[in-house]
Formats: sequence, C-alpha cells, structure tokens
Amino acid sequence: MDVKEPGRRIPLVGSLEGVLTVLKHAVMKPVTVQYPEEQAYTPERFRFRIFLNLDDCVGCTLCEQVCPNKSIVMEKVNRENPRNKRMIYPDVNFGTCTVCRNCEEICPTDAIYLTHVFETSRTKNSFLYSPEELAKQEGEVIK
Amino acid sequence: MSLLARTYNIFSFLGYYADTFLTYLIDSIIFLLAAAIAIILTIYFFRKYMARVQLRIGPNRVGKFGTLQLIADALKLMGKESILPKERDDFPYKVAPILVFAGLMVAFSLLPFGSFFWVGNVVISNSEVGIILLFAVLAIMPIGEMLAGISSHNKYALTGALRSVAKDISFEVPMMISVLAIVVMASARTPSSLTIGSVVSTEILPYGILQPLGLFVFYIAMIARASYTPFDMGESESELVSGYSTEYSGMRFGLFYVGMFGSILLGSFIISLFYLGGYNGPYEWNLGLIYLLIKTVIVVVISFTVWLSMPRIRIDKFVNLGWKYLFPISVFNLVLAGFLTLYLGW
Repeated sequence: MDVKEPGRRIPLVGSLEGVLTVLKHAVMKPVTVQYPEEQAYTPERFRFRIFLNLDDCVGCTLCEQVCPNKSIVMEKVNRENPRNKRMIYPDVNFGTCTVCRNCEEICPTDAIYLTHVFETSRTKNSFLYSPEELAKQEGEVIK
Repeated sequence: MSLLARTYNIFSFLGYYADTFLTYLIDSIIFLLAAAIAIILTIYFFRKYMARVQLRIGPNRVGKFGTLQLIADALKLMGKESILPKERDDFPYKVAPILVFAGLMVAFSLLPFGSFFWVGNVVISNSEVGIILLFAVLAIMPIGEMLAGISSHNKYALTGALRSVAKDISFEVPMMISVLAIVVMASARTPSSLTIGSVVSTEILPYGILQPLGLFVFYIAMIARASYTPFDMGESESELVSGYSTEYSGMRFGLFYVGMFGSILLGSFIISLFYLGGYNGPYEWNLGLIYLLIKTVIVVVISFTVWLSMPRIRIDKFVNLGWKYLFPISVFNLVLAGFLTLYLGW
C-alpha cells in the first residue's frame, strides 16, 4: 500500500485557516440550551420514566425476571385487585435502570410502560420508586 | 486643557506643594479606577468571545448578560485563603505578584489617551523621556514572573520561569529595534523632545502603513509580552500545571491573572498609539479617546482571535523565531525607515 507523502505547505497558511475558522465560529449561534428555562430537544421516540397501571398488573413477575440488572424487584402492596391475588407489584430503581424496555415488551397486560418523561431528579439519595409512586405522575411523587 | 491642569486649577488655593500632591493623588486614583474597569471589561469580553467561538453562551447568570460575573469572581478571589508553600523564599514570593501588577499600572499611567470632549487631554504623566520610560517599566513585569517562579520552590514554577526568561530575552531585542525605527522617523518630523504624545502627533500617515514589518515584529513581541497562546511558554498549562503561578492562590493568583489581561490591553494601546495613528482621527472634534478606544478594541479582538486559534509553539522554536527571523526583520525595518526618512523625506 502506497503512503502518500504530505506535500510541503506554505508557512502560516494553516495558522491563517485556523484564525478564519475561529472568526467564523464567533458569528455562529451557540448550541448551548439553558435547560430549566428552555427544553433540550429529545427525539419523539425517546423514553425514560416507567409508569405502572396498578389495575392492570397481574403480578406475574415477568418484568422482574427479564430485567437485565435487577432494577425491578417485586414488592407486596396491600391493595384489592381481583386480577392480582398475590398482591405483588414491581418496584423500580431508576438509579440502575438502563431503559432497555424489556419490561414493557414482556408485560402480558401492558401494565408497565415507558414514557417520554425524563425529569426525575430527587432530593433524597435514592431512585427507588414504589409501585404507588410508579402509578403517579412525576409531579405528584414526593421527592 | 488637560485633565491634570484642570485638577491643578481646582486646588490652586492650597499653595504649590499641597496642590501638586493632591492633583497627582486624585488623578492617580481616577486613573487606577479607570484602568481596573477597563481590565475587567477586557476579561468579560474575552470570556464572552471565547464562549461564542466555542459555541457556548458564556457568563450569563450574575447580573444582566453576566456583566457582574467578574466582580463576583474578584470578590471570590479576595475571600479565598492564600495557601503559601512551606519552603518558599518568603519576600520574593510575596512581592512578585505586586511587581507584576504595579509594573502594569505604571505602564498604563505613562500612555497619553487623547482628548475627550470637555474633559480635555486625558494624560496622567507627560514625561519628557516617555518612550524609554515606558519600555523600562514594561521590563518590570518579567522580573515579577521570574521571582515568582524561583521563589516558589516548585519544579513546575521554576521551569515556567526559565522558559519565561528565554522567551523575554528573545523578543525584547527585536521589539526595541522596531521601536527605534519609529523614533528614527518621528525625530525627523518634530523638533520637540520625544514624548509618546509628540510621536503620535507626527503620525499623519500611521507608522503601521510606513513600517508594516515593524508592526509585524512589534505585534508578535506584544503577544509574547502578554504571554498568551501561541507564546505562553511561561505558563504552559498543559505541561507545567500553571507555570510560574503554580503555587499562587487567592488574590495573589488574581494579580497574575489581571496582569496577563492587563498586558493584552496595554499592548493593544501601545500598538494603536505607535502604529495605528493613536488618537488621530478624521475629525477634530475632541474625539481622540474614542478613536484610540476603537483602534484598541480592534487590536484586542485580533489578539483574542489569535489566542483562540493557535497552539503553543515550543520554546526552542520561539527562541529560533526571535533571533533568526524577528531580529533580522527588525534590523531591516530600521534600515528601511532610515532610508525612507533620509532620502525620500517621508
């Protein structure tokens, strides 16, 4: 394979090209998005926050089994639901969730599903969401 | 009537000595405040400009458009603890940042800034030996950097100081020779002694047009004087932590920081005064200061653009550049200036 020798360049031309690039960038629009005031663009199919419909969940534990890094653990909740006799519901840790969407795919009743919401910042040092919290809107969860 | 004479008249009832003392004191305070504000504006402008070049927004939280960010930074630096290295050489360590800052401020006070509406001629010191004094004062700042590097007892600081010295001795000779070319031209045009003001008053055609080579050499020397990229070997932040200012913190570091931006501003003022016609402009409406500021801002923008677009060159390459290229070019420029003055009478 032939390696092409770089041709001899005129001195200072490269530096001047750099200066021109800098000047060009100085008149371009900044790409920074000032987050809380304006929303960054997220694609339409972007998903993060997991929601749970407590009435649809049948407690089959498939989501717990399919979760690749054990972010989902079944938890007992005292709640009357004829379809969920064992009264167990998934409990999600968003600190380790990789948003693989396996749980959403495997769920036989579509009780667990991911949404476009991604603002899940919290003041307490835990990203564990109990089943009741998963059923609430993000604003109603006590953080 | 100049600012100095105006203040002198106000206090004339106090008698000669008190009057002179008060005049110079008050003018110095006014001037120091103005210089500090100008440097702060330069730093703010640099941060905004750098942000825009890097497609960021820059400071925008403290005050409208982040204008108070620099004040906040200065307050933060003043409030910080100044950590002193244990094995320092105490006196030089403490005097070094003050030397840098004082040298800068004295150099500022020697410049004439032209006239400004009713204020009159804005000048603090109109020395008969202005040019020599200016460049003598400019040579104080490297001493501060050198002292800082040696007294810190730190290998990075020492290496930075050594590089700084190597850089200084290789650009100062071409710089002085290119200034000599201006003196050659100016002294043929005016019978009066060569204050900076009288040099500027001879610039009907700016010396930058008559001596483009001199402008080139002097500009490179001013970049090296202010030591920013491509010639920031004294600092070399990617190799030597922070060069000669490695062991400094708090306001002592702040003085070095201010010294660097101040010398960019100072260099731009000197270039506009000597090479771009200074405060001479198309209309005689007492707008000298405005003309000078416009020219200075243009030079500052060019300097920042150079800063942001170039990588640092190696110290031996810079020494080569200084002695093998800049020195012959400046000597050639001097001969050319003498030829133009003697035979063509320009």
